[in-house]
Amino acid sequence: MATEKTDVVIVGVGAVGGILAAELGKAGMKVVGLERGPRLTTADFNPHDELRYFQRQDLRPNWKRQPVTWRPNTGVRAHPMNVLNYGNQAGGGTVHYGTLSWRMHEDDFRARSQTIEKYGASAIPQDSSLADWPVAYADLEPFYDQAEYELGVSGKAGNLQGKKIDGGNVFEAPRKREYPLPALLMDQSGVLFAEGARKLGYHPFSSPRAIISQPYHDRASCTYCGFCQSFGCHVGAKSSILVTKLPEADATGNFKLLTGATCYHVNTDNSGRATGVSYYGPDGSDNTIEAELVILAPFIYDNTRLLLLSKTDKFPNGLANSSGQLGKHVMAHIMAKVFAAYDDRYVNIYMGPSAQKHTIDDFNADNFDHGGLGFIRGAQISIGPADLEAGPIGTAMSMDPPPGTPKWGAAYRDFFAKYFARYGAINAQTENLAYADQTIDLDPDVRDQWGMPAPRVTYDWRRPNERARVEFLMQKMEGIAHAMGATKVWRAALSPGAPGAHHEGGTRMGNDPKTSVVNRYGQTWDIPNLFVIGSSTFPSMSGFNPTLTIQALAYMSADAIVKRYKNRPGPLV
Amino acid sequence: MTKHDASRRAFLVRAAVGAGAAAGAGLVPDAIAQNHEHMEGGAATSGAQHPSGSEHGAFFNHADAATIAAFTERLMPSAPDKPGARDADVLNYIDLALAGAYAELQDFYRRGLAQLEAYCRGTYKEPFVRLNPEQQDEVIASLENGKATGFSYPTAREFFSTLRTHTMEGMFADPLYGGNRDFVGWRLVGFPGAQAVFTPTDLQNTQAFTREPMVGLQTIAKGPAGRG
Repeated sequence: MATEKTDVVIVGVGAVGGILAAELGKAGMKVVGLERGPRLTTADFNPHDELRYFQRQDLRPNWKRQPVTWRPNTGVRAHPMNVLNYGNQAGGGTVHYGTLSWRMHEDDFRARSQTIEKYGASAIPQDSSLADWPVAYADLEPFYDQAEYELGVSGKAGNLQGKKIDGGNVFEAPRKREYPLPALLMDQSGVLFAEGARKLGYHPFSSPRAIISQPYHDRASCTYCGFCQSFGCHVGAKSSILVTKLPEADATGNFKLLTGATCYHVNTDNSGRATGVSYYGPDGSDNTIEAELVILAPFIYDNTRLLLLSKTDKFPNGLANSSGQLGKHVMAHIMAKVFAAYDDRYVNIYMGPSAQKHTIDDFNADNFDHGGLGFIRGAQISIGPADLEAGPIGTAMSMDPPPGTPKWGAAYRDFFAKYFARYGAINAQTENLAYADQTIDLDPDVRDQWGMPAPRVTYDWRRPNERARVEFLMQKMEGIAHAMGATKVWRAALSPGAPGAHHEGGTRMGNDPKTSVVNRYGQTWDIPNLFVIGSSTFPSMSGFNPTLTIQALAYMSADAIVKRYKNRPGPLV
Repeated sequence: MTKHDASRRAFLVRAAVGAGAAAGAGLVPDAIAQNHEHMEGGAATSGAQHPSGSEHGAFFNHADAATIAAFTERLMPSAPDKPGARDADVLNYIDLALAGAYAELQDFYRRGLAQLEAYCRGTYKEPFVRLNPEQQDEVIASLENGKATGFSYPTAREFFSTLRTHTMEGMFADPLYGGNRDFVGWRLVGFPGAQAVFTPTDLQNTQAFTREPMVGLQTIAKGPAGRG
């Protein structure tokens, strides 16, 4: 058992932890980062192997050793989910993610107010806990900018200081300057999608991605090999935390990374202060770090789980839970999908960055009139492979054949042989609303390899608002597929209630300690030297991938800690 | 190759060819007529061209290997110019996986196979490998829709679903893992493997991508990447 002292301990060195490690280290704070997985390098990601990385999830948590269970409602027993789409190594999910890097819309930060102003309070489902953020887009803009430029995001502006620019996303919130790197090259699927969308009067554009389209900061640019989602980048062109912020953190001389270190407890004293954390080392040892500042930055499940597991007499319902909101308001995107397949051409969807290649934002957020539609909020709609990764195993798993074609046998073989390289999948990434009864708690039956209760997710996306939205979007996507000139158009089956990608919530941020767990900086209301930063703090989720917003929040928190908290520890709000 | 290996190999070649080969041995004579495509595939590819077997035995016993070979061949049947599970050596892939990465599924397979045999014997009075292809397809469909009786763990649906998944892995995973022999799975669908670079011209290509070579983990395939 080892004990060491430091200024700051960060649990989880991914999208958030890497940024805080570098920024706080640069400010002279001594930082220890606990990472339960290994630290890999770009050389580890060559060659690409679909079985290992996509199918067997080599860069993601092992769902049997580190289970997360799910049940659709409280009436049934939960079972481990067999795919966990977050990271399990230094750099976290940014090592294997699809790199979509969005700024949320202005109205995404005030979805509740926007809805009430435009459609009346009755438009919000009665059981939804839809809430505004305690942060406005304008507050976060400088940090979005910092993330885009420091990490390296490729894209084209569609709204420069209020001036709309064709070819970019004309629905985006105003940005102060252009992206640091030009948009990635279009592939065939992007060309087809853009043509079809334009015919219908929509506004297609190349999705902004954290993949460098040109050499940048001494890194080589993308080779369009197509192995992005689920894979590490073999040339380091993906702007993961591994190749951006971790080297910066190392260079400060103030950062120490402990790999194979699984945090199991946040320690607090009788005064109600966090004193550090305890963790299991790779050799099974039980260790403690004493720190002035504790920052939790793992994927969302472990935030809620750690806070619940760390309960004391003083905090009997878990740390930072005086509001009773810990573990509530969990959200996830689901993907509604329509396939567009061609008899007269190849699409070769496996070429180029694999995830959500080209986008329309016309049906996202409140970018369209929801009057009379029976639902609120929308989705980002994009073109890509069936499962964000385009190899034949993933496609065989995710590309449902059209109605009438079986999933096996000679007819399936012929279908798959013909269309594997001749299709694109149109995806709607839906902004599912927050509901208080969508929760994370401790599973009473399932434990992980350390003997700790597994996080248990209780969630079912199939609410009336969400179902109505999916049906609306399916019809829009079918329209796009036909406008794209596809020979065959059909819908993919919808998931049976389970959460899809980008799980968010559980430690909601807000302006009121009575109704939220953390403030806008991720600082817990109850314990000022304990922060929780990441998508677990999102009050609503938007139809966009969360990573760039997570990173912008990390920069904003780092800025507040360095400029204010460091010299005068205490509540920042 | 030892004598055991040789006889095992001969057995497995017959088993992998499935009902077609069994028909040749006079067991179910109707099978050939009932599945012309299947017979052609078997006739074209049995023997030296697909010497499945010498590396088998990591997990399956002979009877189970024969069942898995026959089952996966129905999921992805072989036909002329359309390689299937037998051509890709899906059996070898699953056998090696169950002795390694998927060792925790050994019991799942043992019980699943036992339940499958019991169901076939109860319904058709014959084991799965002795059924003709149409009957085998009926059995597989009854697993897929959950109507097959007598399954508890794994359930019929789970067993079907896992076999389908593992068949696809054996068809399309890198040959390093024991299936996708000579990249036949990638050739079937037109996947060029892990290419290091696609050029702007490649990205705009509306035709099949056929530039050589296909790139695997340890090997580079001979011949064009497009469909054979």
